[in-house]
Amino acid sequence: MTSRVFIPHLGGRFLVAPLCLAMAVVFFGGAAPEFLSLGNLQNIATQMWLLALLSIGQMFAIASRGFDISVGATAALASTAAALGANAFGLPGLLAGPIAGLAVGTLNGALVGVAGIQPIVATLGTLIAVRGIALLLTDDGQVVPLVDAAAAARMSFNPVLGLPLAYWAAILLVCLAALILNRSVIGRRIVMLGSNPEAVRLVGIGYARTQIRAYQLCSLYAGFAGVLLTLRAGTGLPTEGAGMELQAIAAAVIGGTALSGGVARVVPVVLGAAFIQALLTGLNLQGVSPFVAQIAVGLVIIGSGLLEYAIRHFFPVEHRSWT
Amino acid sequence: MTALAIRMARQVRDRINMPASFFVAIALFALFALTVPRFATSGNAENVLRVASILCVVACGQAIVLILGGIEFSFGSSVALASIVTVLVVPDYGVMGGFAAGAAVVLLIGVLNGALIARFHLPPFIVTLGMLMAVAGLAATLAGGLPIDAPPSEAFSWPARGRVLGVPVPVIAAGASVGTLFLVLAYSTIGRLWYLVGANPEAARLSGIRVRTTIFLGYLAASAFCALAAIILTSRVGSGQPSLAPNLPFETIAACAIGGIPLAGGQGRASQVLCGVLIIAMMNNAVVLLNFPVAYQQLMIGAVILGSVLLQKSSGSIGVLWRSSVPKRGGR
Amino acid sequence: MTAPPLLTMTGIAKHYGATCALRDASLRLYPGRVHALLGENGAGKSTLVKMIVGVVRPDGGTITFGDAAVAFRTVRDAVAAGIIPIYQHLSLFPQLTILENLSAFAFGATRDLRASSATLSIEQARAWLSSVGLERDPMTLVEEISIGERQLVEIARGLGQACKVLILDEPTAALTQDETERLFTVVRSLCAQGTAVLFISHKFDEIDSIADDVTILRDGRTVVDGAPIRSLTRDELVRAMLGEAVATGSRELPPPGDVLVEARGLRLHATAEPIDMGIRAGEIVGLAGLVGSGALDIASALAGATPVASGTLLVAGDVIPFGDRHTASKKGIGYVPSDRHLQGLFPVLTAMQNASASSLKVISRRGVVREQAESDRLLPWLRRLKLHPLKTELPAASFSGGNQQKLLMARNLALPGLRVLVVLEPTRGVDIAARETIHQAIIEAALKGVAVLLASSDLDEIEALSHRILVVRQGRISQELPRGTARGALVSALAERDAA
Repeated sequence: MTSRVFIPHLGGRFLVAPLCLAMAVVFFGGAAPEFLSLGNLQNIATQMWLLALLSIGQMFAIASRGFDISVGATAALASTAAALGANAFGLPGLLAGPIAGLAVGTLNGALVGVAGIQPIVATLGTLIAVRGIALLLTDDGQVVPLVDAAAAARMSFNPVLGLPLAYWAAILLVCLAALILNRSVIGRRIVMLGSNPEAVRLVGIGYARTQIRAYQLCSLYAGFAGVLLTLRAGTGLPTEGAGMELQAIAAAVIGGTALSGGVARVVPVVLGAAFIQALLTGLNLQGVSPFVAQIAVGLVIIGSGLLEYAIRHFFPVEHRSWT
Repeated sequence: MTALAIRMARQVRDRINMPASFFVAIALFALFALTVPRFATSGNAENVLRVASILCVVACGQAIVLILGGIEFSFGSSVALASIVTVLVVPDYGVMGGFAAGAAVVLLIGVLNGALIARFHLPPFIVTLGMLMAVAGLAATLAGGLPIDAPPSEAFSWPARGRVLGVPVPVIAAGASVGTLFLVLAYSTIGRLWYLVGANPEAARLSGIRVRTTIFLGYLAASAFCALAAIILTSRVGSGQPSLAPNLPFETIAACAIGGIPLAGGQGRASQVLCGVLIIAMMNNAVVLLNFPVAYQQLMIGAVILGSVLLQKSSGSIGVLWRSSVPKRGGR
Repeated sequence: MTAPPLLTMTGIAKHYGATCALRDASLRLYPGRVHALLGENGAGKSTLVKMIVGVVRPDGGTITFGDAAVAFRTVRDAVAAGIIPIYQHLSLFPQLTILENLSAFAFGATRDLRASSATLSIEQARAWLSSVGLERDPMTLVEEISIGERQLVEIARGLGQACKVLILDEPTAALTQDETERLFTVVRSLCAQGTAVLFISHKFDEIDSIADDVTILRDGRTVVDGAPIRSLTRDELVRAMLGEAVATGSRELPPPGDVLVEARGLRLHATAEPIDMGIRAGEIVGLAGLVGSGALDIASALAGATPVASGTLLVAGDVIPFGDRHTASKKGIGYVPSDRHLQGLFPVLTAMQNASASSLKVISRRGVVREQAESDRLLPWLRRLKLHPLKTELPAASFSGGNQQKLLMARNLALPGLRVLVVLEPTRGVDIAARETIHQAIIEAALKGVAVLLASSDLDEIEALSHRILVVRQGRISQELPRGTARGALVSALAERDAA
């Protein structure tokens, strides 16, 4: 009863992602039937999780009224760290990825929450520095091949119950994110921070601590995305992920996360990521160059902004007590 | 007459009012001059200025947008699109026609941004980010993903390599940009309107100011600076490149932030832009002179961005006097 | 006063840079008593409150709570100790439900991971809400309820905590009389259980009816330390706050001329009854209404600040579109909005830039702002309004509330071709001296033939300044009262029920 999922009234904005996804499926399915083939849908379903994890992380940052443009670089660093870790300690060493993410998130959170730096400047600084660290770890950007590439391939390509292990893990992480956002005190504090940053301290919630938690979650999920990247490629990719931050922000916004903070839900964000992935894959099937797909994603981002305008314009919140 | 001159001089001094980043720039210069070989030579100084000039011109535009409380990401791909359009147009309409077409493209993107942000009240963050991606895609599509070479000519390379009275043209352009920005922000009515709208758009509207027009003109002006930079950049690379300067928006935001312009809007001066740009340029240059690997370069630049912004946050005493007295909202 | 004090503050000092917020303040709260804290704006009341709850730490002095000296480091510590603040500035979370807002303190305090453990049960939430007389579904989002209701949620949240000391910082500003009464009932019953209450308000009537003791701060010092409220007359209270008596009397108003501004068939909403009203040149019309009555909405519509469903706005025969401040100000309609911070001030810009914001057309030539013309035009106004300090290059945020309000007045009084002045809540949260100055400026404007519409929740102000008073209830003008109407008649006109 007290979960945030069941709150009415915020509905409209969360319908956008499912509607967009449905439209994309209908459109591409109509234009090219092979889009709806099992193989292709499976393809989308496996490819989208990378973006989905990044978007969910981004969602936490945006819900706290910030955002993080370093997630792409963080994922690349995490991918490298995971590969190095796995090579040194076997599969458990993959956890070096999320740990690296957590470290970056702590730094971002401290810069924003303690030092009071604007999120864009803070995460821009870490973006550049993190890229540098990833290069440093890998002798100027050489990929780090996994020694036990076979195990990685098993995890990311051999289906167990219809889906490879790595994707089950991703789904588990998504469920965990929903739990954190909707059912945990941390999630509630993050949403409160985004809703009214000046009031959190007044009700006894630590401002800086909550801000740090939000960015930690953001980068942690970027870290998991990095692990996924490593498993899929069989190597650590220190220079991957450029441009992913923009797609992640787009997915989070299409998924109904309010840039003004305080409003977020996990499932629509995942659907937003699925939509962007479907768009990219669908356009690819149409034989359209990836550059045009890029135009489409850009227009979708602007469109998601226009959508916020439409929601504001046509469904204004009434405050007048005497009506 | 002298009284007037003194008053004018005092006014100018008050307006320039050394920002905190000025001292950071000086300190950095001193540090590099002492520790980095060949840093403090006139040849290197010219090199620094030349490299910094494009960043400087675009940062002037970014500053206007930041003062308005907005942010502009689309610079990164609009210069790329401009370079491609320029190169495509040059064979038919000549060098001037090419540059004019390139500049027009950038202005058009500015118009689009301004219209979307001002008319529909969209978050500038979303609009310009979307525009960045869409225009990058468009540029790559036009060019087929590969750079297109421009027919080399004296006129084509003049904006990047020419000299007037011994001073490189890009440096003159940068100087003119900062000068223009200074005059516009300090003295013009539109500059005042940008400050007012950036400081509190609702209060500006209720004071009878045309907020939408003001915002629109701000993005247009910003794109004008970007157009100038696009010409120089295209001339420098001598080709149309789909990924010409992908980090330009981030670098300009960083320059403004390092210079001390708060992203909250309503504040910012030309001198801060200049200092921010010089700090970044000196950093880049020193790292190259020291022959550091790319990894260290990036680490250091990231650290300097964060460090100098942190420093300004904590230094309540120098330069930030006129901001330090602003209380947090919620207090009496 | 036999019991020992529950909370004692002595010799408290606090500096912010060069400015001294508190020099030597003391305060003693006793269990079971309501203690009023008075003082002009800037006297240090808010700083003192923030110290009690641990938001601000004192530079000097001691705070003891119960028997021990304390220094709360965060609000969480204070709340855990039983000190519950209810804030003047709304500290709710609009995108969250009422239930979640009621549970906010628990979210701050809990060490549990699960949100459900910190959330109130629905029944408990209903009980808390009904204790302040708010019948709302706890699952409603706060952004969907009115400002007055939000204040009630805020109060319910505070009252729901296990509290030994309750701090009410101007809680009644957004409340109707009924709601205020209900709040006082709850406060009295808490007192009966031994809670110490600190009550901050500018309204002497409320202080008379609820407070037992009074402490008065002036300029960071305690000048009246815990005197029984009955031992002081209202004059003595005001004198202690100001350090001198300020005359507040009835005023001479100029005779009005012809009708200058007119609204015909104005409907704020498609379903609302149409409103017709006119204001003559040199006339001051008071628009009185309780919070949420729509008085402020009518006034801002007449200033061209907000769009309406239908109607015509005429100034000297010219039609002006609603919701277009640009045209309205070109036609000489000045507007002082009700929310100084959100709608009026440019906090980071200088005082001069704030004052000249509406006069840019006349002070610039060929796109260049002429600073000489700017100060020639505005400085006389700022002088007449006694802006203090008269340093026009300081950022507006560094001025006190009263002086910020003077900047907004100056902006509109200097409006080129000023013919109509719409002022909303011109002296809310403003000290008494600034209030006098602002009132004088409004009358002077009327003397020059400006038509003035004054919307205010301050009845003293309405009575002192208006030629006639329009009473607004439920979005329409229910009654027109002449100057000199008795206070009782005015109050009953405001509070009248629909059925009557």
